[in-house]
Parts: sequence; structure tokens; C-alpha cells
Amino acid sequence: MSVQIDNQVPAELTQAIDRLPEGAAALKHVAPSFGRRLWQERWFYLFISPFFLLFAVLGLYPLVFSLYLSFTQWDSIGPINFVGLANFRTLLLDGQFYNSLLVTVIIGCMYIPPMFILAFGFAVLLNDQTIRLRGLIRAGVFIPCITPMVVIAFVFQILYDTKFGLLNWIWTHGFGWLGAAPIPWLESGTWAKISVSILLVWRWTGYNMVLMLAGLQGISADLYEAATLDGAGRFQRMWHVTVPLMRPTLTFCAIMSLIGTAFMFDEVFVLTKGGGPGTATNTFGMYLFNQGFSDFRFGYASAAAYVVAAVVFLLSLATLRGGRSAV
Amino acid sequence: MEEADMNWIPKAAIAAGLIALVALVSWLPSWGRPTPKAGTTERVEVWSWGAAALSLQRAVAPMYAKAAPTADLDVQMTGTNLQSRLLLSLSAGVGAPDVSQLQEREAGKFTRTGGLRNLNSVAAKYADDFAPAFWQDCLVDGEPYAIPWDMGPCAVFYKRWVFKKYGVDPEAIKTWDDYIAAGKLMLDKSGGATQMMPMSVADFTDFFQILMQQNGGGLFDAQGRVWVDSPQNREVLALLGRMFDSGIAAPIPLYGASWLATFKGESVASFPGAVWITQPIKDNSDPANKGDWGVFRLPAFRPGGLRTSNMGGSVLVLPNHPAKPDPARDRAAWEFVQYSLCTVPAQVAQYKGFGLFPAYLPALKDPYFQQPDAFFAGQPVGQLFAKDIEKIPPLNRTRDWNEAERMLGQSLSGWIEGRPSASDKAAYDGRFLQNLGEAIGRKLNRKVAPPDEADGMKRGAA
Repeated sequence: MSVQIDNQVPAELTQAIDRLPEGAAALKHVAPSFGRRLWQERWFYLFISPFFLLFAVLGLYPLVFSLYLSFTQWDSIGPINFVGLANFRTLLLDGQFYNSLLVTVIIGCMYIPPMFILAFGFAVLLNDQTIRLRGLIRAGVFIPCITPMVVIAFVFQILYDTKFGLLNWIWTHGFGWLGAAPIPWLESGTWAKISVSILLVWRWTGYNMVLMLAGLQGISADLYEAATLDGAGRFQRMWHVTVPLMRPTLTFCAIMSLIGTAFMFDEVFVLTKGGGPGTATNTFGMYLFNQGFSDFRFGYASAAAYVVAAVVFLLSLATLRGGRSAV
Repeated sequence: MEEADMNWIPKAAIAAGLIALVALVSWLPSWGRPTPKAGTTERVEVWSWGAAALSLQRAVAPMYAKAAPTADLDVQMTGTNLQSRLLLSLSAGVGAPDVSQLQEREAGKFTRTGGLRNLNSVAAKYADDFAPAFWQDCLVDGEPYAIPWDMGPCAVFYKRWVFKKYGVDPEAIKTWDDYIAAGKLMLDKSGGATQMMPMSVADFTDFFQILMQQNGGGLFDAQGRVWVDSPQNREVLALLGRMFDSGIAAPIPLYGASWLATFKGESVASFPGAVWITQPIKDNSDPANKGDWGVFRLPAFRPGGLRTSNMGGSVLVLPNHPAKPDPARDRAAWEFVQYSLCTVPAQVAQYKGFGLFPAYLPALKDPYFQQPDAFFAGQPVGQLFAKDIEKIPPLNRTRDWNEAERMLGQSLSGWIEGRPSASDKAAYDGRFLQNLGEAIGRKLNRKVAPPDEADGMKRGAA
């Protein structure tokens, strides 16, 4: 329920305000000026100001500064040279840039669907009050996303090792009779993408599961009860009640995954030593890091980041709209 | 809540708190440069990592404390990503150390930012004391901005017991073709269980570069043009192709856990590489095999050819401190660098204790380099690595080396993947280098040298 306060204040409310202490009398004045309100609420603004100050310094300033940088050439130490649209022109002809976008899209398509299915499955499973050891399963699925990436990468590198890795040991010993040859997990372009995708699914399923579980727990049991009374089976309840009501959560998860994929960095930085073999896992985030921090081309890196951020923004808007219209 | 309810907070306290916060924030940058310890007058803060940092802390610091008692030396082991932090400190103008380590291959891009001190007035006199291949990396327009620290002359480490088992004489391996033939022999005799060297198709950029420098090639010529498609580099690709085709290369990525594991057992027989893999080998091989390892010189491209090359190494640089110029500290920093890198006792101590191989040529004449090494069955390995290092061909690293090197590394996997289906391998290699050279030229906005240019490093300086 929402209460609208306008010029037509109901009589009961006016009387109630009149009974309040003197300080609340300000409420009776409709729409005081901005400056006046700022002064009246100065203590509140003072107390919430640290966030805005920090945001302005650490969030807004870099955002604006990197927009400016995208029109310049700068190695971060020497003078900043304004070059107009030259960075964007070079970007248009940069095969590595397109390749990094392609790699990012391919890896995104490889890991997001299985991750969503698994996260949704686990969320539904854990939402069932009859399942035992729910806390343990929830912790088990969530732990990978709070484990330091360097530790994960080290373990996965050992698992994926072509000659001594556990996966190939199981594969060649278990399926040797089928003529199974060792899989070049991190040595062939295709397999390296699969390896990175497996790691991403493993790492991020828990995060999405928690979000989805929260979404599921927000669905009123009454709706299921009503659907059951209407004769809906388990699958129908899932399809006609759970899925439509989960759309806002799924949309949120999709947007977070989209942004996460576009700027994916640490997984490839440590697992495939910066995007190898060749450019097989050289994601856009990796490309950006190399342009900026490895090659000292901060202007060029900013231009690339802004182009991709604009694309991600548009895609997110489309996802959001798709998510809304479908409900 | 309204103003009346807030009166319990003394406004003076809030004001004092805010002033304290502002004071704290403005004082923060000075944390980067603490004052010297009691009894000393100049503080020298050094950033370094790994064995190099340990070497400064444990080998050099005690000696320097006697040589320069007024200096307060503070060597900080800063671990990974030192380069990014140094860059940020230089960019901010505060927080940079007095002296910093850099990888030799990265020196070029830092020296050209203007963030490092020009050392010409104090260091030009040392030009002839360092291996030319290394000194070249420290110069911008002919003037030094860095001082070579350790370098990575290359040879082949081998397991004597494996070579003996398959009847291979390491002394008979004089060229890379001899090496491949010996590898094939071992592969056949062991039924595929023993491979000659670790080299993964996923990343063999280091091998390419070792061979490239040995063969007098490069990525840029002396004029700074892209010089990827050269007769030398085509020879390198052909050799790498023969190595992969022969089956002597085990699919093991360099410097990882599995690479360390191959020092044990017989799955890999030898390790072509730089002198700095000596310590990992000693630390990770089976103690029972101590004294059963050996080193032979890097095979040449052709009989009588150069039998060494360089991979890696590092330099020391002096960052500028434009925000707080302090000539006394700058002088103290240079004196420390000079002592550590341009004196024989300090260089020998670092090699003895931590295996840092001096780029400073006078140090290589020290008797310690003639000493036998029990781990390598008494071979005087120091002498072996020191031989001919002054003949290693220099490279023109330019400020764009990292990017060109990365583009090379990223393309090499594609080269090896597409190679089996190519009918004319030489034409395929040539096309690959030509395309790569053009791509690098486009990206870096540099001219591309003509493909038949064999002496790119000899024609005039940049």
C-alpha cells in the first residue's frame, strides 16, 4: 500500500500531524525548496556523505577520467596527449580486440547455460524442506565462490595437467580399453575453453544458487497450495508458478553473469597464464589488462573498455526488458 | 529525527574528527618514505622479489652494512605484480622505492616512460663491463636508465643416468639436429617412455626466444622496424617444427608443477634452459640422483655456431621522485646499486648464495666460477655458462617488446596447430612470420623490415 501526500491531505492525517511534536511541523509545508530541505536534513546528509564522497572519488572520478583517457594517448607517467578518435579508429582495425570479444562470447555461451541449470536445480533441491543436510550442501556449493582464485587455479592446473593430471589419469586408466588418449586440457584451443568453462561453472554455480534460492523462498506457499488444489502436478507447478515468479531473479542473475563474463579476468589470468594457448582463452578482460597494465596504453585500453561497456549496457537493458515483458 | 535530537553530539568533536581525518589523509603519502634508522643518515628502500630479494637481504646487505655504515638498507620482498605497483607509484608521484628490480625484458617500456632516472653521468663508465646483449637492454638513445643485474645464459641440463642407460654421449651433441637425433634414439629405445625435453604446444615462446637470440634474430631491427620475418626466425621455426615432429617434446608447460615433477624419474631426459633453472632442479630432483646430473652447452644451429643464448634476467632501476626530490637519498640509492651490481665481491656472493648469474663481466673471472659443482658430478658449470656470453647477439627491445612478444606467443600455438596440414612447411612458416610481422606493425604503428633483411641489428642505431 502506498500513501500519497499531496495538496489534498486527508483531514485525519492533518490532525495527526498537528498532534506531533513541534519539530514535525515541517511536514505540513508542502514541497519546501531544495536548499531549505538540505539544511533541515543536514545531519542525515552528513552521516550518509562518506559513501557519496568515497563513491565520487573511487567510482565516479575514474569513470569520467577513463572516458577522457579514451580520447588520449597516455603511458600513465608521461604527459597525456589528446588524440581525438584515433584510439577508436585503431580499435576498429584491431584483430586481437575482435578475437577477445569472440572468445568471451564463446566461453559465455559454454558456461552460462549449464551454470544456470545447475544453480536452479540446486536451489529447487535446497528449497525442499524435506531434504536432509541442506546446510552442508548449500555450503558445499557456495564455498568455491569465496575460495581465492589462485588456490583454485593451482588445483585445477594440477587436475588438468596433460601428462600427470588426475583427470587424464582417470580417463586413460578407466577408459583405456576404449583407446582413450590423454586429453590436452590446457593445450588445445577448444579444450582450454572447455576447461575454463568447467572452472567457471564450478566457481559461480553457488553464487547464482544463493540468489535463486532467495527468489524461491520469496514465492508464497499459498500459490503452490492453490495450484495443487487446482489439480496442477509437480511439473505444472514448476512451469506455471515457479518459473514465472522467478523471472526477476533469473533476469538479475543473467545480467550479473553478462557483466561478469564481459570483464572476466582472474580465471584466465591464473589458469591459462593470461589467455593461452595462443589466444584461445584471451577474454576481453584479459585483453584490457594487457593493453593497460602490460603495454602501458591506458588511453587505448579506456577506449576499448568504453566500447564494450556500452555494448554490455545495451545488452543488459534488453535482458531487463525481456525479463519484464515476459512476466 | 530532527535537529533537536542531535544536540547530544558535541559539534566540536565532529569538527575535530573531520580535521583529524583530513590531516591523516594528507599525511598518508609520507608513509611511503619513512625516516632512516637511528645511527644512519640515508635510507635506501629497495623493491625486489624471489631469490633476487633474498640475495640482497642475505648476501649483499651484511656486506653493504660494512661498506656503507651510514646507509639504512630496507629490501622489501614485494612478491607478484611489482611492476603494476611500481607503475602506479610512478604515476602518482609518491610511494615509489629508491631502487627497484625489473625484468630485463620489461626494462624497455619503463625506461621510456620518463619515470626512471637517467644514469648516464654515473654509469656510462661501466658500458664495457657488461655483456653487450644485456647492456643494450638498459639504454634509451644510447644512455643507460637501468643497470644489468643477473642474466640467463643458456645450456642443456641433463640426467646422466638416463643418457647412460640409452647410450647417448652428451659431448657428441654439437648441433640441434644432433640433439633431435639423440632424442629420437631415446624415444625409440624407451618405447616412448622417455622424451628428450619438455615443450608444450600451448606455450613455447621462451624456446622460440632462446633460439631467436642464439641465431641472431629479433622482433625489432636496429631502426625499430618490425623484424619478425627474417631468415634467422624462419630457421628457428623450421627447427621448432622438426622438434615437435620428431616426438622428442613432452607436453609439459614450463615452470609449472608438472615441470618440477619431471626432474624426478625418467620421463624427460634433458632441459634446455637458462642458468636460473639450476636451483629448481637442485631443489626438486630426487636426492638419490645428486651428482648424477650434468650440463652441456646449448647445441648450435650449425657446426661451429654460437653455443649459448640468453633467457630472462633482471635489472635495477632508480625511480624518479618528482614530488620529494632528495639528492642525498638519490646518491645513496645509486651507491647501493653500484656496490651490488658493479663490484666483484657483491656479484660473486650473489651467485654463490642464490645462483644469480652476473652480467658484470669482471665477476666472471673470479676463481669461484672455475669451481666444480658436486651436484653436476664435479663439472665447473659456472665456467660453462660464462663462456661466450659476451658474444650473445643483442636485441632491440624498444618500448613495445612486451606487446610484440605477447602477439608472437599467442600466434605460435596457431602456427603449430595448422602446421600438420601444410604441404610446404617452409612456405607455411614464411607466410606465418610475414602475417605476424604485418599484424605487429599495424598494431604498434611501426614500419616492417623487408623479409630478406638478415643483419637487421647491424644497420645503424634506432
